[in-house]
Amino acid sequence: MRGLLKGLAGRVVKRYQGMSIQMVLSLSFTAVALVGVVFMGGSLLLRFSDSARNLSQQATRRVLAQVNLNLDSYLRRMMRVSDTMYYRVIKNTDLASDTLDEEMGLLYEENRDALVSIALFDAAGRLVEAAPLSGMKASAEPSQSRWFRAAAERMENLHFSTPHIQELFDDPDYRYRWVVSLSRQVQLTRGGDTESGVLLVDMSFNGIAQVCREVELPNGGYVYLVSREGELIYHPRQQLIYAGLLEENNVAAAGYSDGTHEESFQGKAREVTVKTVGYTGWKLVGVAPSAPLWGETDSVLLFGLSLLLFSAFLMAFLNFRVSAYIADPIRRLDQAVKELEAGGETVEVDVEGGCYEVQRLSRSIRSMVSTLRHLMDDIIEQEEQKRRSELEVLHSQINPHFLYNTLDSVIWMTECGRTQEAVQMVTSLARLFRISLSGGRRMIPLADELEHARHYLNIQQIRYRNRFDAQVEARPGTQGLYTLKLTVQPLLENAIYHGMAGAEEDGLIRVDAYREGDDLVIDVMDNGVGMPPEKAACLLEEHGPESGGSGSGIGVRNVHRRVCLTFGEGYGLTIFSEPDEGTTVRVRLPVLDEGAAARYQ
Amino acid sequence: MKNSRQALIQLAILVALGAAVLLTILLPRQAEGRKAVEPLEISVVLREADSTLWATARLGMEQAAGELGAELRVLTLAQANDAQGQLSVVRREAEQKADALVVVPADPVELGLALIQGELGCPVVSLESAVDGAPQTVAPDNGALGRALAQAALDDGCRGPVLLANASPDSTGVTQRVRGARQALEEAGLEVRLEEEGQLEGLLDGEWAAVMVFEPALTERALALKEGMGLDVPLYGAGVTANVAAGLERGTVTAAAAWSDFAAGYLAVEGAAALARGTQRQADPLPFFILRGEDIYEPKYQKLLFPVS
Repeated sequence: MRGLLKGLAGRVVKRYQGMSIQMVLSLSFTAVALVGVVFMGGSLLLRFSDSARNLSQQATRRVLAQVNLNLDSYLRRMMRVSDTMYYRVIKNTDLASDTLDEEMGLLYEENRDALVSIALFDAAGRLVEAAPLSGMKASAEPSQSRWFRAAAERMENLHFSTPHIQELFDDPDYRYRWVVSLSRQVQLTRGGDTESGVLLVDMSFNGIAQVCREVELPNGGYVYLVSREGELIYHPRQQLIYAGLLEENNVAAAGYSDGTHEESFQGKAREVTVKTVGYTGWKLVGVAPSAPLWGETDSVLLFGLSLLLFSAFLMAFLNFRVSAYIADPIRRLDQAVKELEAGGETVEVDVEGGCYEVQRLSRSIRSMVSTLRHLMDDIIEQEEQKRRSELEVLHSQINPHFLYNTLDSVIWMTECGRTQEAVQMVTSLARLFRISLSGGRRMIPLADELEHARHYLNIQQIRYRNRFDAQVEARPGTQGLYTLKLTVQPLLENAIYHGMAGAEEDGLIRVDAYREGDDLVIDVMDNGVGMPPEKAACLLEEHGPESGGSGSGIGVRNVHRRVCLTFGEGYGLTIFSEPDEGTTVRVRLPVLDEGAAARYQ
Repeated sequence: MKNSRQALIQLAILVALGAAVLLTILLPRQAEGRKAVEPLEISVVLREADSTLWATARLGMEQAAGELGAELRVLTLAQANDAQGQLSVVRREAEQKADALVVVPADPVELGLALIQGELGCPVVSLESAVDGAPQTVAPDNGALGRALAQAALDDGCRGPVLLANASPDSTGVTQRVRGARQALEEAGLEVRLEEEGQLEGLLDGEWAAVMVFEPALTERALALKEGMGLDVPLYGAGVTANVAAGLERGTVTAAAAWSDFAAGYLAVEGAAALARGTQRQADPLPFFILRGEDIYEPKYQKLLFPVS
């Protein structure tokens, strides 16, 4: 289970990560709104269901009250007939001298719509008088009838029987009528003496059936009538029940008190409302199927579902639009960044609209892009400068004046028979060019650079007839280190042309390489004419003054720029000089072994 | 690409929700439309010329029709037990697009042939007699009913010759009752005479230990003849109409086999409606009982014999 949940969460996260912000927003909004709508819909449905149930129960109770009223009215009418017959006719008649047939016939005619017969029996069950039929069936035994016994046993009461077929009188039409018998014990006067008798009013069952027949309850409910013992008196489908095709919970219903009860019958939940009918003890039972949770019918459920779906549709539509509005600036920003990634040069990161955070992000990206472009311009510029410096170096390598003068010196020495010196000079020149080329590499071993310096100094010493001495020294700890190619030679050229210009065989040029922490320092020192410190200070400036005389300070600045461009602003040249005391040009480079130097190649 | 895919997803969601809304709006209307379809038309074709014999059954039929949304048309024949006449009425009703027929067959064999040959084109429920090709029959177990009636006669001490009268020899249901009674009586060693012309007038006053008839119409006729001729031969009948009930009460009819005609009518129309709507429910044989005059007012019998109208 836990693994399943974890897997599910993983899938959701994966799906979430693959979605756009607009999709996430719209789906989240829609889901939250849907949950809200479902919750509200459920609450309303429950409330509606409760209200519907209450209304249904109230409606059932009202209907039952009305039926009870009608039934009561019908029964009262029958009781009035009985009372009239007894108190106005029987009590005023002496059966020894008078008959009841006229008054009884009149009373029957007045109420024939509701009556089947009126009959008076003596205590032994013999017929005294009856209307409209007076011929009793041979098989009739009134004294054995339940209505007769009930009247005889409880003389003070009126007794209503359950429905039965009228079985007393011969009907020439062979009509078997359903009646409800109202019986009471009466006092008959015969010759001045009183005796007991039983008055029977058979009312048509149709009257009761009509009271109940057209009654309809909510949800297809119906009303039926049972005796206090649970015997069915009226039921809209009573013939089916009698035939065994249908069952009813009438016996249980007879035990219910007045009010509404929940019951389950044949697997169906029903609401049973009971109302006791006066005088008889009968019970009116209203049966209504329990209203389902969602209301009365399927159409209510579908209507609710339709509303829910329409709300979902509306919310989804609005959420899609709103989320699109919110996410559009972010999407455009994302698009612009993608174009930038793809190398677009004219991409405008200028997102209008959107919320504060998006606008700030847009401004930040715009600023970042601007910085990036400036940096790129700087890099391009630096590369350009580097390229120019390299060209200048190349140019210096093949300085035609230097080459011409050297070769001229070789010719002159050869003509003068100074062959040894000529050989030495040509050898140094050859070595000089070989190191200058160095297979096209920018970084060369410090030893090669210093050797290059020695050969250059050799050549220049010969040319300048040893007007200066030269010393090249590499201190311990510098073995195996690498340096930028042709760093020292332009400085030596500067020292010779400017420092040694006035030297009289006492000039000295020293090259000293040593380590200082993580730096490699190469000092190029001369004891020449020197210069004021302020002039020395501005020699390295980009547009500073030239040092004057033959040669050029451009070479020194070029070396300085190359070192700075290659290793950064922390490295480069420093010039120390005092007039008549000489000049020291200090080159500061990072300590580079072969591996580190390879990165700068 | 991704944006257009998501736009498509959103569009699909909106279309699906919109379609669901339309569906939930249209479905109830369609359901209402279905509910408002015209009621079923069910024709009931009797084999008698007088429909009063089926008055109780008709009450059951009308109750079922009312509950199931059917319109009933009850048709009698110009002449009782006219098989050809009944068949033409049945064909006419089928042609007039009755959704189902309930038939009390005058000649179940003829009707069965028409059904098997597919002449009618609508389902038929038979009452009283089983019919080949009719998917449902509503009747008591006729053979058992005949045997029970014979047993009632035997229980009453009948020892002489017994006249069995059958006015509807083509009705297999009635014939099965006769056959059942005959079998039971012959097994008891009684002499039996079978009269299949229904001519009781010249026979009833014979030296019979009992006379047995097996359908309501003939029971009423035999009852009237017996009372008219002042005979006291025990008479056993089948089916309890008001006249027969009165005869039972007076003792003219010694006993009668009875069943709930209301239930028979209800079940027949219920079965016909179910068949018309494409379902089928096979009914069990109707329960029957032997009724005597002294039992007629027993609550359980009066409820069955005299329906509350």
